[in-house]
Amino acid sequence: MITFALSMLLLATGASFVLGRRRVLAMVERPVDLQSLPGYYGWYTALWCLVPGFVVVLGWMGSAPWLLEGATLNASGIDLASRSEAEISLFMNNVKNLASGSIPSLPDDPALLAAAERYIELRGRGAAIASGFVALFAAAGFSYAFRRLRPNLAARNDVERVLRLTLMACSTLAVVITFGIVFSLLAETLQFFNRVSPIEFLFGTHWSPQTALRVDQVGSSGSFGAVPIFTGTLLITAIAMLVAVPIGLLSAIYMGFYASRRVRAVAKPLLEVLAGVPTVVYGFFAALAVGPVLRDVGSAIGLSVASESALAAGLIMGVMIIPFVSSLSDDAIAAVPDAMRNGSLGLGATESETIRSVILPAALPGIVNAFLLAASRAIGETMIVVMAAGLAANLTANPLEAVTTVTVQIVTLLTGDQEFDSAKTLSAFALGLVLFFVTLCLNLIALAVVRRFREEYE
Amino acid sequence: MLLAPSDSEAEVIVPEPSTEEFRPKMNATAVDVYYGDTHAVKKVDLPILEGDVTALIGPSGCGKSTLLRCFNRMNDAIAACRVEGEITLEGRSIFDAEIDVVELRARVGMVFQKPNPFPKSVYDNVAYGPRIHGIARKGPEMDAIVASSLERAGLWQEVKDRLQESGTALSGGQQQRLCIARAIAVDPEVILMDEPCSALDPIATAKIEELICELRGRFAIAIVTHNMQQAARVSQRTAFFHLGELVEYGRTEDIFTNPVQERTRDYITGRYG
Repeated sequence: MITFALSMLLLATGASFVLGRRRVLAMVERPVDLQSLPGYYGWYTALWCLVPGFVVVLGWMGSAPWLLEGATLNASGIDLASRSEAEISLFMNNVKNLASGSIPSLPDDPALLAAAERYIELRGRGAAIASGFVALFAAAGFSYAFRRLRPNLAARNDVERVLRLTLMACSTLAVVITFGIVFSLLAETLQFFNRVSPIEFLFGTHWSPQTALRVDQVGSSGSFGAVPIFTGTLLITAIAMLVAVPIGLLSAIYMGFYASRRVRAVAKPLLEVLAGVPTVVYGFFAALAVGPVLRDVGSAIGLSVASESALAAGLIMGVMIIPFVSSLSDDAIAAVPDAMRNGSLGLGATESETIRSVILPAALPGIVNAFLLAASRAIGETMIVVMAAGLAANLTANPLEAVTTVTVQIVTLLTGDQEFDSAKTLSAFALGLVLFFVTLCLNLIALAVVRRFREEYE
Repeated sequence: MLLAPSDSEAEVIVPEPSTEEFRPKMNATAVDVYYGDTHAVKKVDLPILEGDVTALIGPSGCGKSTLLRCFNRMNDAIAACRVEGEITLEGRSIFDAEIDVVELRARVGMVFQKPNPFPKSVYDNVAYGPRIHGIARKGPEMDAIVASSLERAGLWQEVKDRLQESGTALSGGQQQRLCIARAIAVDPEVILMDEPCSALDPIATAKIEELICELRGRFAIAIVTHNMQQAARVSQRTAFFHLGELVEYGRTEDIFTNPVQERTRDYITGRYG
């Protein structure tokens, strides 16, 4: 019903556009006599039709669940006061399931069947009323706008204003969603910190999140010192950056300065293909190809290398972020004006002296930005480390041992059936919040660096 | 030359080598430059005289900047660009396999159309050339080079207290004089200037012109300019280009008061350009 109303509304909007445009064109001899281009009058009329109708649709979709539930419960004759909130909620769920055709948990209850019928009836009636209101509002808006149409009406200004508001709404939405994510993390994290003290979480050196199911089990309370996880993350990120920064930056320099146009045209897209490889593919490559090779090489030269090691995961993660570093650095280098390069070459500097002393310093903010974005990508990466770095929360700086990372722990804590009232599950949210905070900081630093040095050359 | 020769396309006025003043520091002989399929400079012979300012004038797209860039092989960096013919510096070909382009550019400096100071301090801008050529590294020796170069570029008084500020913080005219100081610091023999005043206001332009007049004698200078008054004010020799050809070359006063070629006269009197 509402879908039908929406499609009718869109049709009406299209018709309003045509009508508004035609009417205003009929008022003048030549289109140039209009204050705005004819299309703007069409948009003006169309928006006056669409927006009121759409507001009604949104209002109905927002309030319908509450209204319907309330009305159904009132009509069902259930004694609301005598039942707990959970019971009422269960009852309503059953009613909705029955109404949508799924089988409820109590199919034989006559009160339930009656309520479901009532629910379906109310839903239909409500939608019909709402559709009526949509039509009414759309028609009112249209007739208001249609009667206001004059050749000297500033339709363009009004349409531009609506456009600006729409753009603003979209960007606000992105910000609101970010905050929403933070708050949802925050709520669970606070619950976690009610059970485990933040001091222990941030500074404890033992991570063993298994909590006992029964009182008499050993290791009953679990241990939530997250330091080994943070160091594991840092270790793997550091290895990845050690791989990606030199290779990425040097390949960007080669592409930007030394490669012939033909080499560049082939090599650059190929390099960027690395960014398109699914991380899960990188993951099994690291776990099945790189890990064993490292172990064999290690044992050949007398080192003991775990078959799931920080080194294997870090190396492959480094390969994964090479395109980030090289592509963003390449952009930064290309943004340095040619005049800088010519000025240096004109003084008799060689190509490499020019790159080292003039181009790289000038491109530094962009390059630092590339590094930081690559680092936050590495910190947040999950699949490679899940598959290749192991699960053992060792507190070690030895890249040959197995370590675990924040993302891996979150995955293991939250996959499968979980109880949401135990510290074990809740700790995933605390880890997520810390991760979010760290990558946010890195991105902010990147922004600040870029802003600080941006006007260096102009 | 009392009788003006006919203004044929191929005709080029070559200066008489017998005169006493004719001391070519650099000499271009039958230079052709191609950009892909475009023939930008056509069989040009042009000397750059020691101790004099040579002005290259002509309408836009006549090949004068392209030719200027040949003198220190800046066109090497452009893949589609091909240079033919001979250019000598002190009698030796600059295309000689033994001549390193780095050394050539140290001897033949260049100042560009738009001021292009590096995003470094004023001091480091000037010290850049001496550093890469190993003339000096730091300390009092470098201080002296920086100070004297800025002095000769007429910028010392204005920047002596701001040596550590970024070169890009200076005004446009100061930036261009900084670029000239930067070129002077490596002690070149020739300075090429590609429309050095086109991005500057009249006051800054006057300062640069004054500077060029002061630098004359110490360096051989070649300057490309669109401003004919400027060519008349600062140069001793003028070369007029049109459509990639050198139409006329001679003493500046002759070119401006008594040009031989009709095309030169038309351009100088503002008939086209």
